[in-house]
Amino acid sequence: MADPLVGLVLLPLGWATLAFVLGPGRGAWAALAGIAAQAWLAWLLAAQVGAGGTARHAVGGWGAPLGIDLAADGLSAALLLLTQWLALGVALYARSYFAAGDPARRYFWPLAGFLLAGLNALFVANDLFNLYVTLELVGLAAVGLVAAAGGERQIAAALRYLFAALAGSGLYLFGVALVYGVYGTVSIATLAPLITPEAPRLVWIAGGLMALGLVVKSALFPFHFWLPPAHGGAPAPVSALLSALVVKASFYLLLRLWLGPFAPLAPAAAWLPALLGAAAIFWGSWRAIRAERLKPLIAWSTVAQLGYLFLIFPLLAVPAAFGAGVMQVFAHALAKAALFAAAGVFIQATGQDTVAGLAGAAARLPVTLFAIGLAGMTLAGLPPSAGFLAKWQLIEAALALGHWPIAVVALAGGLMAAVYVFRVLRQAFCLAPAGAPVAAVPRALEWTAFALAAASVLLGFFGVDLMTLIEVRA
Amino acid sequence: MKRLAVFCLACAFVVLTGGALIELGPAAIDLRGQVAAQLAASGVSHPVTAVLLNFRGYDTLLEVAVLLIALLAILAVTDKPPAAPVPAHPLLQAVARGATPAMILVAVYLLWAGAHRPGGAFQAGAVLAAAAVLLHLVGLLPGWGAPGLRLRLGLTAGFALFLALAAALLSQGALLQYPPAAAGTLILVIEAGLTVSLGLILAGLFLFLSRDEGGET
Repeated sequence: MADPLVGLVLLPLGWATLAFVLGPGRGAWAALAGIAAQAWLAWLLAAQVGAGGTARHAVGGWGAPLGIDLAADGLSAALLLLTQWLALGVALYARSYFAAGDPARRYFWPLAGFLLAGLNALFVANDLFNLYVTLELVGLAAVGLVAAAGGERQIAAALRYLFAALAGSGLYLFGVALVYGVYGTVSIATLAPLITPEAPRLVWIAGGLMALGLVVKSALFPFHFWLPPAHGGAPAPVSALLSALVVKASFYLLLRLWLGPFAPLAPAAAWLPALLGAAAIFWGSWRAIRAERLKPLIAWSTVAQLGYLFLIFPLLAVPAAFGAGVMQVFAHALAKAALFAAAGVFIQATGQDTVAGLAGAAARLPVTLFAIGLAGMTLAGLPPSAGFLAKWQLIEAALALGHWPIAVVALAGGLMAAVYVFRVLRQAFCLAPAGAPVAAVPRALEWTAFALAAASVLLGFFGVDLMTLIEVRA
Repeated sequence: MKRLAVFCLACAFVVLTGGALIELGPAAIDLRGQVAAQLAASGVSHPVTAVLLNFRGYDTLLEVAVLLIALLAILAVTDKPPAAPVPAHPLLQAVARGATPAMILVAVYLLWAGAHRPGGAFQAGAVLAAAAVLLHLVGLLPGWGAPGLRLRLGLTAGFALFLALAAALLSQGALLQYPPAAAGTLILVIEAGLTVSLGLILAGLFLFLSRDEGGET
């Protein structure tokens, strides 16, 4: 693997295939070895991009627009780094989470491998049609993971997810077809100088369709309807991957197109995503505060936290807004993976999923509870967590442009997050009802949840390094 | 009322997009010219195959993975044993028996023809899958249960071969960079592997789902 850019796509494809051939439930070691190697490659790539600028690879040696070019700038390198390291944590967790005969484990490893391959391919893609193929890889693998060996409700949730994902990628593909019709190319690098504010009307329609498709896939309010049942009903490791990474992939793509080829058209619509984002923060937080079961609570919190990502669009004239968006992606990914992992521990220990059932958790599962506390700090945006840095930069950008309502929304959202996190913590410190059984939980589960939560807080100390990396642009 | 609103919205969209389409001039970039110019170096003489397997072979590699994922998702939700085959009318069985060798022949022809005229691995695989579905519908081929090692190898062989060759060609300088002299042979090898695996995958999308419940269709 001379070129980390290519290795990050080929490796997961390889071990996913191997895991399927090995047979149902097998392949955990192949997956762990593969993801560890990917984590190393992502590290190499980040160092390479940081030192030498955008990394490129012309597949087939043809070069765009005839062939397909891959490229990783600072943003891609940062997200690849996040994806591999987070996946490493979730994979370690999943290996202990699924019991030997669990039907949900049968095709977990191959599907997870293809999911990671799709995510990595998406982050290095530089071609609108290639991006569509990666969106399909990610979407179908995610639906498969949600549906795997679930009951009727889980399959219903997966079907709803499938329809939303297909509608989203269908809209995106329609837009790509129109763009190809106008310019005769789908290479982003070739398109960028061609699209101007005087572009034909068709390009505006295409941009709108692509943005709408990606927004549906990112579960922005009011297109969030598919997320809570899908993320709240899947097994804990799957929920962690989905909430942490999958919804971020379509956001990444929207941001990349917004700042890239569609930059001349984008400012016209900048307030729409921000308004919907604000609505998502209030509605998602409210539903999380009211939720009775733990995993749906965390899933609704995802709806709310995704809202912050869309607040940055009217502020992109200030560099801090871009930084805020990326920092929020990192903070939420790590914190949410930690929360779902911790929820999985509680479900295994108590055999149920209600918030009320958490009573007594403080004494019995202190490590897991500490993980929830740390992840909650990040979600509410308390210093020194990465979530704090994200909100700080967001508010700074909002005030610099005089858009103070955005700052108010960010602060109010932080308060609401504190309420639903505190609700969980308070319940955990209540005394357990006498005789409530608590099963032994593998320690690997507790400690991986803790490591993810700790990472979401500690990342706050490495904010400057991350911001330097994402400043590397094409 | 809701239906009317959706209808009006759809009509407005069609008129808007149609109007925008009419005022369109020629595209800024002529990719067809570029494909034609490089066709000699691609190893095949049909432009569609050249684009699918050479110029944009990376997309095709990932698309095969998409099909494999669809199959995995189906396998992940089905865990009941397959339904017992219900024999159809003997005449139908005789027709299916007679058609199968011809369909296999057509598949091989399509695979071979792909290098210089319309055809290729996806079409050939679809014909193979259709033959399997036909045999299943007349009760000669039972539905598939959880796949054994041999079937798993068959389902993945085409993709694994494509992936391994793509990675091996990194030694030429880039992913999927065929040496021009060997490009034709390599593309045929990849397409042959894909034909078998795509045939099995497409057949599997039907045969793995053929259960007692939900009826025999």
